[in-house]
Amino acid sequence: MNSTQTIRAIQGNIGRVIKGKALTIEMAVVCLLARGHLLLEDVPGVGKTTLAHSLARSLACSFKRIQFTSDLLPSDIVGVSIFNRQKQGFEFMPGPIFANIVLADEINRTTPKTQSSLLEAMSEAQVSVDNQTHPLQQPFMVIATQNPAEYHGTFPLPESQLDRFLMRLRLGYPSPEEERKVLERPQALHPAEALDAVLSVEEVLALQRRVDEIHMDESLTDYLLAIVQATRQSELLSLGVSTRGALALSKTAKALACARGRDYCLPDDIKELSPIVLSHRVMLNRAHGMRAHSFEQAERIILDIVDMVPVPV
Amino acid sequence: MPFEQAFKLSSLLLATTAFSGLVLAHSIPAWLATITGVILTITLLQTWGFTFPWSISRQSAVSSNLRNLLLIAAFALFLIDLAVISRELLPAGIHFLVVLLAIKLTALHQRRDFRHLYALSLMAILAAAALTTEAWYIPIFLLYLLAAVWTLLLYHLTSDDAPQLGETPSHNRRDQSGHSVGITNRFFWLTNGMAVVTFGLTLAIFFLLPRIGAGMLQKSRGEGLRTTGFSERVDLGMIGSVKQDPQVVMRVELPERSAEGTERLYLRGVAYDRYNGRSWSASSARRRNLGSFGDGAFLVRAGGGRVPQGPSAAIQQDILLEALDTSVLFAAPFAEYLSGDFPGVQADGMAALYLTFPTASRVRYSVTSRLYEITAGERSASTLDYSHSVLERYLALPELSDKVAALSQHVVRDSATPFARITAIHQHLLRNYQYSLDVETTTSLHPLEDFLLDRKTGYCEHYATAMVVMLRAVGIPARLVTGFLATEWNEFGGYFTVRQRDAHAWVEVYFPQSGWITFDPTPATGLLPSRSSWDVLFRAGESLRLYWDRFFIRYSTRDQLAVIYGIRDGGDAIRDRFSQWVSAVHRTMTQTVAALQQSAHTATAGVMVAAVISAGLGFLALAVLMWKHVWLKGSPLRLAQRQQLRITRLYRHMLQATARNGLVKSPAVTPTEFARLVAKKWTAAEMAVAEVTELYCRGRFSGTALTAGELVRAEHQIRALQQLSRTARLEG
Repeated sequence: MNSTQTIRAIQGNIGRVIKGKALTIEMAVVCLLARGHLLLEDVPGVGKTTLAHSLARSLACSFKRIQFTSDLLPSDIVGVSIFNRQKQGFEFMPGPIFANIVLADEINRTTPKTQSSLLEAMSEAQVSVDNQTHPLQQPFMVIATQNPAEYHGTFPLPESQLDRFLMRLRLGYPSPEEERKVLERPQALHPAEALDAVLSVEEVLALQRRVDEIHMDESLTDYLLAIVQATRQSELLSLGVSTRGALALSKTAKALACARGRDYCLPDDIKELSPIVLSHRVMLNRAHGMRAHSFEQAERIILDIVDMVPVPV
Repeated sequence: MPFEQAFKLSSLLLATTAFSGLVLAHSIPAWLATITGVILTITLLQTWGFTFPWSISRQSAVSSNLRNLLLIAAFALFLIDLAVISRELLPAGIHFLVVLLAIKLTALHQRRDFRHLYALSLMAILAAAALTTEAWYIPIFLLYLLAAVWTLLLYHLTSDDAPQLGETPSHNRRDQSGHSVGITNRFFWLTNGMAVVTFGLTLAIFFLLPRIGAGMLQKSRGEGLRTTGFSERVDLGMIGSVKQDPQVVMRVELPERSAEGTERLYLRGVAYDRYNGRSWSASSARRRNLGSFGDGAFLVRAGGGRVPQGPSAAIQQDILLEALDTSVLFAAPFAEYLSGDFPGVQADGMAALYLTFPTASRVRYSVTSRLYEITAGERSASTLDYSHSVLERYLALPELSDKVAALSQHVVRDSATPFARITAIHQHLLRNYQYSLDVETTTSLHPLEDFLLDRKTGYCEHYATAMVVMLRAVGIPARLVTGFLATEWNEFGGYFTVRQRDAHAWVEVYFPQSGWITFDPTPATGLLPSRSSWDVLFRAGESLRLYWDRFFIRYSTRDQLAVIYGIRDGGDAIRDRFSQWVSAVHRTMTQTVAALQQSAHTATAGVMVAAVISAGLGFLALAVLMWKHVWLKGSPLRLAQRQQLRITRLYRHMLQATARNGLVKSPAVTPTEFARLVAKKWTAAEMAVAEVTELYCRGRFSGTALTAGELVRAEHQIRALQQLSRTARLEG
């Protein structure tokens, strides 16, 4: 089975559960291939958790879910050291973060302190408890979901932390036909529970390694940088895309090329990924009457910017 | 002969031919030529195998330090030469070149030295070409070419075993004297054949490539050949000083006449009407500009305005006039039409023709003249009715002793008609006087009286002056004419060679109806030079020189056209069409070149400098491009880059084709998006665009090369697309 077939298999597998969201599923897989973390942002009840759950089920790897609440503590995520009477010493009890795929549900419901403990684990791929460093399993992917900021009782993630997520996806409501299919499905079992794994951990790691070998032409790197530069110069944005953002775009473009069965990037890859990879890394300029955290507006501005940057010929 | 020795010999021969070219161009002082020649000869002999008593070791002992010193000294000398002695870059540069050559000849050890020798030789032969327009350059150039081919071949052959060459030459020589590595018969003829082929190619290029006259390397305006007898005043006896000079002044072709029946041709220069007893001058210096009727053709009407009525014969002449110190144009009497590449021509009152400026180089012109004879009526008329102005002007005499007048009257005492009187004086001079060039003219106060009464020995000027004076004394208007009398017919080239020694003076006598009629009182013994059997050879060489001048030195775009027309005339239909094409191309090229030349003439210095600089920059850019192009050919990665450029070009063609159909790709649209747009808007083109886009994306962004088949496929699809767009537009 080659990489394209593998990736198609995962997509097909998830597609059996999430109806009519092929593109979003593809992007979630791309995020996995690019060794990144995914932020799903949408209103409750459109399948955010189901997507994360099905992705984890499609891979033969461990999956943990953390429901974030306002009273969640960092130790609830990372784990705690407990005194073992028999061994006469402290013993580290790993928290739910020690899994291949971690679903951080409603990440903006918890306090910044707890949020940051998760984000630290995300960027370092390791946790430190009581002066001891524990490496996390590989592959390691955090899929965080959050409700849009305007809903009550949330602690919005600061930009610096949002930056840690490779891409931000939106699911949106399914079309009536798709929704009908969802309703007609037998409801006894959670649909994701019925999925079989189609990929082993080793295969995932191999795919991730493969992404690194994807060729990106110099002209495309220039194109990518031109887009990033344009976000920094746009009047509509008060904060442009960081270098980490540029790196993320490059990584995801390669992963997308791989997912689409190419061993080289195209300008299309970059153009298509720009809104979902860059939109959560920018801050809108309030002077132009925009709210700072409007997902749609940010996406639209990025799209407009990309439509201004000439594609290399 | 072993390769190594042959290589050295041919290198030295190359230097020798180049050096002799310089020597023959008279560009090196004798002492320098001698020293370099001696060094060259010694080196040649040594290479040939001749051992000198003071042996080679002495020569190679000229240390490199000493040579460097010599070089510095030579450069210093060059600077002095440039600043003080020659004061011109070309001669000074040539002197420096020869000194460098001499120094280099003493140190031919490494292959590097030989390369330097070649560079010096090339410069020398180029300099010789710039300095001379003589025909001897042909054999020198041929020899140079031959030597160059030999040298290059041998250089290449010996460079393969270059390390051995340096290591043990003696041992090597023994080895190479074996028959397998020496120069075989076949090798010898092959090399010479290559040289001949090269020469043939050179000739073809020379004759067919359009040329621009670039005067960069030409010698600065040289001095014309010094002539006498054509200035405003001619002292009696001046022409005698050049009567021994064999320098060629001009060559006259008679396209409509054969050599038979044309024994001599008078080439009229300047006429004089006033004699003061010692010198002739023209009474009026006024000149009028000749009317031109386009394309360098001028209408010359005989002075006086009256058309003579005697029987006449037209004679056409093509004249190649050397650079002279006078602006007089020579032609048979009397010129009617003149055509040449001149801005303007003037004529004075006595039908002498002048350029508006002295000739700085050879000029070529054609003249149609009409030779008038005396009418029968005037031949027998007992009196002639001269107009007053003619009598006043052409009967004036200086104060002479009565003896001259008495002699004149005595000669014509039995003649009844004016024509008989003229004949009598003519015959008297022809019969009773001795032709000799050994005449001292300056001592006498009255050279004419000396000639007529005492010495009775003289040459053309004396004869002509005497005849004019005697005619005037008996009341017949006459004047003196100077020019050349062409007698040396060259049967090889079909033309008259006119030399300095052919300078001549004769008489023109006025008849009211017949105009000015030529009389020559000089006896034929003084006119026809003696001919030896060797002259045939000289004449053959002479004609070769004319051909050289005609077909090489003065070979022009016009001649190229002539060559092309010649090809066209002789050929069948294919050749006909081809040459028409060539001539059409050529005409445009000629026009362009002419326009360029025109603009170059009119442009200011600033514009010229700007043009030169921009041309230089252009060449530089071209060189960089070429270099990059060559460099790109290297590794497979470069191959991919090259193909990247190619598929990008193809993709642009595709975009042009779709744009013609109203589908323009905006810069921010990716190729795939554009392909989707096309699929939506122009379904017929969907396939082609999709395929080209796919190939383009892969070829452009993947960093791997497309296969040749894929490129062909892309081209094919683009052609299909162009076809499609054409039909779509037709339908639309």
